[in-house]
Amino acid sequence: MAVLEGVPVVGAAEAELAGSENSLRSLLSQTAVLTGRLLLRSVRSPMTLVHAVLLPVAFLLTLKVVFGDSITAITGENALYRSVPLVALLATMSGSTTGMVGINAERFDGFLARMWSLPIHRGAGLLSRLGAETVRLVFTTLVVLGTGMALGFRFHQGVGAAVLWVAIPVIFGVAFAAVATTVALYWRKTVMVEAMQPVIILGATFCTGFVPVDRYPDWVQPVVRYQPMSLAVDAMRGLSVGGPVLSPMISTLIWCAAIFAVCLVPLLVGYRRASTSR
Amino acid sequence: MTALTLTRPIPSGTQQWWVLTARLIAPTLRNGEVAVGVAVSVAATASLYIPLNRLMDGPDLQMSSYAQYLVPLIVLQAIAFASISTAFRAATDSVQGINRRFQSLPIASLTPLAARITAALYRCVIGLVVALAAGYVIGFRFHRGLWYAAVFCLLTLLIGLALALLGDTLGTKSRDPAATAQWLLLPQLIFGFLSVGIQPLHRFPEWIRPVVDNQPISRLVYALQALAGDSAGGVPPVTWSVIGPALAWTVGIMAVTLPWAVVVYRRRT
Amino acid sequence: MSESGNGVEVEGIGKSFGSVDALRDISFEVGRGEVVALLGPNGAGKTTTVEILSTLTRPDRGRARVAGHDVVDDAAMVRRSIMLTGQHVALDEMLTGYENLVMFGRLQGLKKPEAKTRARDLLREFDLEHAAERRVGTYSGGMRRRVDIACGLVVRPEVVFLDEPTTGLDPRSRQAIWELVATFKDAGIATLLTTQYLEEADALSDRIIVIDHGTIVAQGTADDLKERTGGTFCEIVPRDPADVQALAEALGPLLPEFSRAALTPDSDRVSLPAPEGPRTLTAALARLSAADIELADIALRRPSLDDVFLALTGNAVGANRAEPAAGEVFS
Repeated sequence: MAVLEGVPVVGAAEAELAGSENSLRSLLSQTAVLTGRLLLRSVRSPMTLVHAVLLPVAFLLTLKVVFGDSITAITGENALYRSVPLVALLATMSGSTTGMVGINAERFDGFLARMWSLPIHRGAGLLSRLGAETVRLVFTTLVVLGTGMALGFRFHQGVGAAVLWVAIPVIFGVAFAAVATTVALYWRKTVMVEAMQPVIILGATFCTGFVPVDRYPDWVQPVVRYQPMSLAVDAMRGLSVGGPVLSPMISTLIWCAAIFAVCLVPLLVGYRRASTSR
Repeated sequence: MTALTLTRPIPSGTQQWWVLTARLIAPTLRNGEVAVGVAVSVAATASLYIPLNRLMDGPDLQMSSYAQYLVPLIVLQAIAFASISTAFRAATDSVQGINRRFQSLPIASLTPLAARITAALYRCVIGLVVALAAGYVIGFRFHRGLWYAAVFCLLTLLIGLALALLGDTLGTKSRDPAATAQWLLLPQLIFGFLSVGIQPLHRFPEWIRPVVDNQPISRLVYALQALAGDSAGGVPPVTWSVIGPALAWTVGIMAVTLPWAVVVYRRRT
Repeated sequence: MSESGNGVEVEGIGKSFGSVDALRDISFEVGRGEVVALLGPNGAGKTTTVEILSTLTRPDRGRARVAGHDVVDDAAMVRRSIMLTGQHVALDEMLTGYENLVMFGRLQGLKKPEAKTRARDLLREFDLEHAAERRVGTYSGGMRRRVDIACGLVVRPEVVFLDEPTTGLDPRSRQAIWELVATFKDAGIATLLTTQYLEEADALSDRIIVIDHGTIVAQGTADDLKERTGGTFCEIVPRDPADVQALAEALGPLLPEFSRAALTPDSDRVSLPAPEGPRTLTAALARLSAADIELADIALRRPSLDDVFLALTGNAVGANRAEPAAGEVFS
């Protein structure tokens, strides 16, 4: 069998050139390869496309039809400036459960272990999952934005604000994905996927994107006002139609950064454990 | 070898059904399924009532309170969640191949299905009880007496049965349990919002009213509102023209799903 | 014993999971161009050993070096030199065979064009060209194992770990794996394979290490082990049990003293060592036909894994197994 003739040996000398296992260069190139394969998988599962496209769009249309007029009447501005951000955020959350299940499946059939035994950067696997999520988030946000624009949504604050507007759900989605992945790594029970649903529903309905704050009972208003989704929606409203931007945006970024920071170490530890034992 | 017994007992269909049902129900207290079911019922109540109450309440509602108006929809959402979980369970079983194992045992081929449906009904009961309890907290009451309240509950469970059958069939047919469960979250919300369960018909834009009015969830909501009754006058009366369509949809779904379930189930496992 | 060179060196490795000692004081070596088999039942510690050597987990005690690098201090360099194939095929099932190969190539430092060429070469070598564009999830068991191993060979390893590589495979695929191991040997690669099957260990390896309950019970070539358990023997059953004595006498010098001494009045058969296998059988037959004794059965019997274990440990294979898998949480 000629299988080993002329096979490239990436030996010590080349290893020095290519960068050692833990170099930044390795991290970037290997993450790129692994992100590519995750994206290839998403493209090959039609369900994820349905999830990313059809459902958020349908939900946005529903909100407009059912609540649009009532809310516009109350606030004086088009309800789209609330509901489009809300649906963008909702889409980022409801799609993250695929990743949760995926990581546990790959843990169970030994793929994570195989990756761990390769000479690749220890963080490449985890980073690639976040990378693939980011791509999905950008895609979803743009789709929701497109639908919103078809319904009458416009940017009144310029191009820079529009770019920031798109960035906020992506940042939020990454923070949420960090939480979802941490949950998946530490609680392997399948009931966890179901358990995320009430969390997502509560987050979306106790949000200024759903109904203006003053319509909530007084005792609940502080919660609604300061939860991360509301802050994100407020920031996005400011960036599109006008209104305070700096304060809600900074608050949103602080929330996201804090969530991510809290999850970071558990993620790294959890991923290593998932790669080295079943 | 003493491992082999001398006689072979004759299995009883009822006993088999009970064992399979218990298999699905027994772990639920420990593994969190019951907790999640409770959480979802409470979340459904809170997430719809609290934000929308002030927005929706008003004289044109024609009912004593938004709570009285909304609880039927909440109950339906809780039931829908229970049947989604059933679908998830069915899909997991299908993927793990245990159905195939069951088929090689002397079990009537529909017994495992019956067991899963029974387990689904158990979850529906939990969802219903919690939803009614939460409804009580926000002010919902049964105004037409015990008999109608019982019919309310029965109709709800019947709906649960139909949805569980549908969910189970979809779940067995699909090969990916997680994808199935995700698929069903947003559509459930969409159907719920596009119904009279959330606001009266006249508050919808004109062009969509026919869709909203005839949608199965709306028909079910009318029936449930009628059965629950109200102190104000605006509630639909309990007549066949109100209850009929709800029953028709429920039985219709079952009539369509049951043969389909039998085919899918026999072919897939 | 061949010189260890740069293969695998294990000294006093121990590993515990909670109160369970998965490994206790394991020491062995695998030299370049050697094939060593770790033989033992489930739960013996084979997989744990491989996990330590492939840097998936750390030993609690002792040291190990793979390709000259310490598995704890120099884990990154170890990973550069090894190829690991586990019991379960570990690939991305939604990618095609070709895409998997390219991915593994690129991850291990090949540039994209190199990785693609290498992928095509491997597909050809492993007879997978017809299935290259299909998802791995649609492959048969043998094909999956082939592409799994191919993915480990995109870059040339110095040490190969095969964890139960032929479990569940059809005979033809099993044969293909065996041929592959021979190729590794010729190429000077150190191979450590784990298996439950004595015949596989026998056919493939230069040396067998028998492991049970986390300790090494015996080491040696297949022949050594078989000799220790009595080796191949010839069993003769006369039709009439009363003929046993006559049988024993007819065999004459073929039947050694200890075998004769082992016969009791209740014996219904005679067992004699058959170091020359079929020749001993033929010789016995020749003598017996001359003596005109009617036989019910005459056969060569080889020691099974159970026989080896029984002789070496006093336990049957599979006795009192209750260890949980490493780190597993039961929900």
